[in-house]
Amino acid sequence: MALTRRGLAVGSAGALGLAMGGLARPAIAQSEAIRIGWLAALTGQSSAPAVGYNRGVVFAAEQINAAGGIRGRQIEIVTRDTQSDPTKAVNSAQEMISRAKVHAIWGPTNSGEALATTPIMARTKMPNIHQCVVNSLIDPVKYPNAFRIAPSNQQWDDAVRNYCLSILKVKSVAVVGDSTGYGTSAVNASVEAFKKDGATVVYQAQIDATQPDVMPDMLRMRNGGAQAIVVWSVSTGMEARLFNARATMNWDVPFVGHPAMGSGEVGQLVTKPENWDKVYIIGYRSCSFDESGKLPARTQEFVDSMKGKVRTDDTSLWWVVSGADAVKLVAAAVKETGSTESADIIAYWNSLKNYPAVFGHFTFSPTEHNGLPTEEIVMSKANSSHDGAFSLAPGYG
Amino acid sequence: MLGNILAAGLAVGAVYALIGVTYNIMYSASRVMSFTAGQLGMLGGVLGAMFILRLGIPFLPGFVLTLAACAVVGVATEIIAVRPVLGSLEQHLYVLSTLAFALLIQQFTAIEWGTEPRPFPRLFDIGNGGISDEKFWLPLVACGAVIAGLEYLYRHTLVGRAFLAIAEDNFAARALGLPERNLRMASFALAGAVGGIAGFSSGELLLAFFANGGLLNFYGFVPVALGGLGHNRGAIIGGLALGVFQQAANFLVGGVFAAVAVFAVFIVVLLAAPQGLFGVTPARRV
Repeated sequence: MALTRRGLAVGSAGALGLAMGGLARPAIAQSEAIRIGWLAALTGQSSAPAVGYNRGVVFAAEQINAAGGIRGRQIEIVTRDTQSDPTKAVNSAQEMISRAKVHAIWGPTNSGEALATTPIMARTKMPNIHQCVVNSLIDPVKYPNAFRIAPSNQQWDDAVRNYCLSILKVKSVAVVGDSTGYGTSAVNASVEAFKKDGATVVYQAQIDATQPDVMPDMLRMRNGGAQAIVVWSVSTGMEARLFNARATMNWDVPFVGHPAMGSGEVGQLVTKPENWDKVYIIGYRSCSFDESGKLPARTQEFVDSMKGKVRTDDTSLWWVVSGADAVKLVAAAVKETGSTESADIIAYWNSLKNYPAVFGHFTFSPTEHNGLPTEEIVMSKANSSHDGAFSLAPGYG
Repeated sequence: MLGNILAAGLAVGAVYALIGVTYNIMYSASRVMSFTAGQLGMLGGVLGAMFILRLGIPFLPGFVLTLAACAVVGVATEIIAVRPVLGSLEQHLYVLSTLAFALLIQQFTAIEWGTEPRPFPRLFDIGNGGISDEKFWLPLVACGAVIAGLEYLYRHTLVGRAFLAIAEDNFAARALGLPERNLRMASFALAGAVGGIAGFSSGELLLAFFANGGLLNFYGFVPVALGGLGHNRGAIIGGLALGVFQQAANFLVGGVFAAVAVFAVFIVVLLAAPQGLFGVTPARRV
């Protein structure tokens, strides 16, 4: 084959291009920012948690970047507001994956959105951490990329049941929820589990969130002999009505269940502050004050590091902590593997045993992607909130 | 148990009755079923809580401001959702326009007020949550006051008779020189105020909650259908009966099934008397 000047020029240009590309790629990868997609419902109906998480996300990213980043690479948070809308969450997830080219995604922050986005992320093997409670969102076979760093519904249910049966030592319970899909499924699952553990469920009901008078339900529960009332609802109005009705009846039965019973709105709706006593909500050991009013040491250290930079008095501490933990989990994967490849990040997370995050000690494996141990879930006094955390319910010693 | 059924049932029934009257006042003036009636009730609670609790305005001025604001929303309903479709009543476009306006009110309230129920102030602090509590008898008192007020207005004032005239025969009233448009707007303002009274008086029972609008729209319509469209007495009796029946069903079969029981009875009554229990089958000219 004859060598022509044109052939030589084209060949040289091609060789140069290949050489440059081959040399330049690792250099870019090493200095490229670690992009973490943050699917946050910062506005809309379920925005409260995301606003709290966001504070932790921003704080952790700034803290890591100020310390020089991970292997010299800065953390870049790619935030998209899903507006609490599953359709927008899907669009944002697709945009993050295909255009923003993120290396991992944290979120979304509610199960409705996660049910829509999880299969999409699974198709592209996008490393994903979330804290949504619906059990089916974690399935290492269907979604090997998805990891949960908060409890599942099942774990919440287990924690509430254990508290009722083992700590309060009650034998008969009433289980009520609101008339939403969540309330119905949570009540059914809870009733089944109580019965399985040998307890008597004397009353089971869905109560409409707008039902003005809950006295009929309360009378049925008392007449049935309920020793504790388990509540699965996010309807603060319904919950406050239950507490007020209990006070009117001069009944001292404890309420145990959903964290919404501890929200500030309930405090405004109870007719007397004492109506909120003996209400125990799901909480987390890492973010609960003990009897002496102290947080666990590692949580206190984190809170101290945020002092003056992040507010926790108008949100839940565990939301802020979880947001920071999520960013640190991605950072740890890149730090340990030196890679931002999806397979490497997922493999690293699958290898974690008792990873000491602030929210809890996470353990994952290729067959278990629920990272938070059930022992970390405790009951808290609903009316004890301050600085975003609650005091432990009685019985934890 | 009987005391609780009667106290809570009559209280909720009075609210339904007042929303039924709100429907009727708007219907009488325009021949339009305006689905903003329940939202006016919701606004009565939300605005009352906002004026008194959030802005710290005393009870009486807060009450007057609430009624005034609800009256303005009533007039806005007439201008925005009713007047444009009056020319084509037979196409029932008002269903769409009033429902759309109702949704607009509800979403605006959700955005500005929030999606969580908020407390309504204790007005007289009488009772301790039992059956003698003010939250149970305030709606009844309000209902009685509205009935008396409307009776006086319709029977003893010129404006009230003019309202009746346009309700009876719109064309004849106009031919007599009555300002039909102004009277219609005044009727919608009156409906707004009555809806506001319903929401304000039941604020302690229903709380200041944006989702109450849908509930009141729904249950407020039942007494209208039971009592006969345009018949205030029918709406009052239908509303009170509905409230007591609903509360009795709550006790006997539970909350979610109570709604089923209510609508089962509703359907049966309408099958037996399609024009409502107090309605009259309109004569058809042949």
